[in-house]
Amino acid sequence: MERRDLLRAAGAATALSFLAPRDALAVWSRIARGGAVIGGLSEEQLALIGAIADTILPRSDTPSATDVGVPAFVNVIVSENDTDEDRAAFLAGLDAIEARAKTTGGDAFAQLAPSARASVIESIESESNRRADPARTYWRLKALIIHGYFTSEPVMKDVLKFEVMPGRFEGSAPMPIRTSMPPGEYRHA
Amino acid sequence: MREPTDFDAIVVGSGISGGWAAKELTEHGLKTLVLEAGGPVDPNTDYVEHVQPWAMHFRGFGDRKALERDHPVQRGCYACDEVGHKFFVNDNENPYTTPDDAPFKWFRGRQVGGRSITWGRQVYRWSDLDFGANAKDGHGTDWPIRYKDIAPWYSHVERFIGITGANEGLSQLPDGEFLPAMQMTAVETDARGKILKSFGGERVMTIGRAAILTTNHNGRLACHYCGPCERGCITHSYFTSLGSTLPAAQKTGNLTLRPNSVVAEVIYDPTRGRASGVRVIDANTMEAREYTARVVFLCASTIESVRLLLNSKSTRFPDGLANSSGTLGKYVMDHHYGSGASGTVPGFTDKRTIGRRPNGIYIARFRNVKTEHPDFLRGYGMQGGSGRGGWGRGGSMAGYGAAFKDSLINELGPWSLSASGWGETLPNENNTVTLDPTTKDKWGIPAARMDVRWRENELAMDQDMKTAMAEMLDAAGCTNIRTHGSNNPPGHCIHEMGGARMSLTAKDGVLNRWNQAWDVKNLFITDGACMASSACQNPSITYMALTARAVANTVAMMKRREL
Repeated sequence: MERRDLLRAAGAATALSFLAPRDALAVWSRIARGGAVIGGLSEEQLALIGAIADTILPRSDTPSATDVGVPAFVNVIVSENDTDEDRAAFLAGLDAIEARAKTTGGDAFAQLAPSARASVIESIESESNRRADPARTYWRLKALIIHGYFTSEPVMKDVLKFEVMPGRFEGSAPMPIRTSMPPGEYRHA
Repeated sequence: MREPTDFDAIVVGSGISGGWAAKELTEHGLKTLVLEAGGPVDPNTDYVEHVQPWAMHFRGFGDRKALERDHPVQRGCYACDEVGHKFFVNDNENPYTTPDDAPFKWFRGRQVGGRSITWGRQVYRWSDLDFGANAKDGHGTDWPIRYKDIAPWYSHVERFIGITGANEGLSQLPDGEFLPAMQMTAVETDARGKILKSFGGERVMTIGRAAILTTNHNGRLACHYCGPCERGCITHSYFTSLGSTLPAAQKTGNLTLRPNSVVAEVIYDPTRGRASGVRVIDANTMEAREYTARVVFLCASTIESVRLLLNSKSTRFPDGLANSSGTLGKYVMDHHYGSGASGTVPGFTDKRTIGRRPNGIYIARFRNVKTEHPDFLRGYGMQGGSGRGGWGRGGSMAGYGAAFKDSLINELGPWSLSASGWGETLPNENNTVTLDPTTKDKWGIPAARMDVRWRENELAMDQDMKTAMAEMLDAAGCTNIRTHGSNNPPGHCIHEMGGARMSLTAKDGVLNRWNQAWDVKNLFITDGACMASSACQNPSITYMALTARAVANTVAMMKRREL
């Protein structure tokens, strides 16, 4: 599409581009203001999630997981979207991760030094059976952490430089990328 | 001034078929009333394709509790998601029933624009292999038309709505009037060549043919490749009735569009042997109204149009209007789809894609085209695509720390290539829609009861989809090839067809070769209900072409004073 048309299309869409369902904005602003998630996780649980998230995605030249509010996102999913059964399993799994931290590192995960945190992560990731805790909950948490990080506003806008309207499709463009593709690009017809 | 209640034509439904009926009828100068059961849609405020995940409370995972409460059936469709659920019906207000052992998915959109807002946009012409299939193997009744009857109407539709695709010169998948094709990816181009070579040219992988603009067309802008078409398109770059045919109808000054109008019954006038109009229930006030017209077009969607006829009972037609043949509600079909294979493509690590192509690849039907397959009749096309894993791959990948994070930001996973079959379903008398004896919708109209089952031929074809796709991936040089089966029940493909089929004679079907009811000469059904077989192609463009063709003939009959 022509540059001129893309601008025209963008103009037509500007009013919409960053419109969100009003409820969603309200909730996120509530959380951003420090408000509670309905039926939310405890301070200790959030600290554990934050420590794991920042071990997996630490601050470097790009933000860390906690810099972009990943624990709040995990809290929303677990507290407001999970079934009671899934939530109970997740909370029990968090306890199992914490227990592993105490066995492997001698303290609560959030209290451990970076190298000890890394050892705990490695011990869990090396388990071949991902269906038994602590690995089961760890892998669910890891997927949530990555989803929460890469769908956050600062990461999508400033790190991935996600183009809402790329204006073209190229099937054989050269690497490297400065933006990554969202998962599930192909859709059922 | 009282609202007018008498028109030249009434069209029930404002979706893909209804929009075309409205455009063609009004352009021929007929004062046309379009009745839509759902509410109005304003693209400027209702379309949500540019809402980014960070602006969604559940970041795209969907509001499970709300979806389970309001959309327990609809949420089975990929497009009924955290922001797109608004284009799907509330299941509590719109029930349907099935036998316990025959699950059926009915994904529905009640709004101006219907399911044209959420459709998959894939469009493929039928060929004489398809129109001749029933006559050849004896399943179903012979189509009263052949490709030559519909070909000019495919062109008529394609020229107006704009279709992207590539001509391939295949007899079983006729070429069309295409805008420039979208690009294949590097691995798709490579796989196409290898598959052509390995199977002697019999299996052709082409770029998907889609109702999406690759250049500006008829006042609509070319696609900007944002991705999630099923949530709407502010630039109207893919075809919707809302952004294309309904505005054309509006422009004539002959259109009256009435949203929130649930049609409960087609009124039959026994003295004149004609449909005199329709009985409507206002969706909000529950007030009953009647509208009259010289001709009535049902474009309410396959199941809705059949349900409406079944609910239009009279002394003359105690088993449903226009049902002297006894075939109304029978021979319902959908495409059985989803079985196939996927694999990893080695190499091409210096290549990537830019933009989100709302389209994939298509492998034209190759079974029972030139040779006969021993296990099943008819055939299937395959749809799929390729890509490299983005950051999402990190969720199941070992690793942590800054280097891990950087790899998700700056690198991509290996290429994968996959495709699945969309298969023809044999017309079977026992695949039915009837009226449920007790369940009614919010407006007191008896609910549809669906009894549709996959049978031997469909199941045999599903097996072959897996094997054939695995063979093709192997030929393309893939590793890690895995087949996948499909447990999708009927209806899931949202290609429901049949129930008021066209036929050569009045005893074999509901409609003649002009989509005109054999029994009621001013009644026309041009949505998927008219289909006498399902072929394997995505059907919407065939409904559009049949609708335009039927209107042209209707207008000619009216001019000859035959109606």
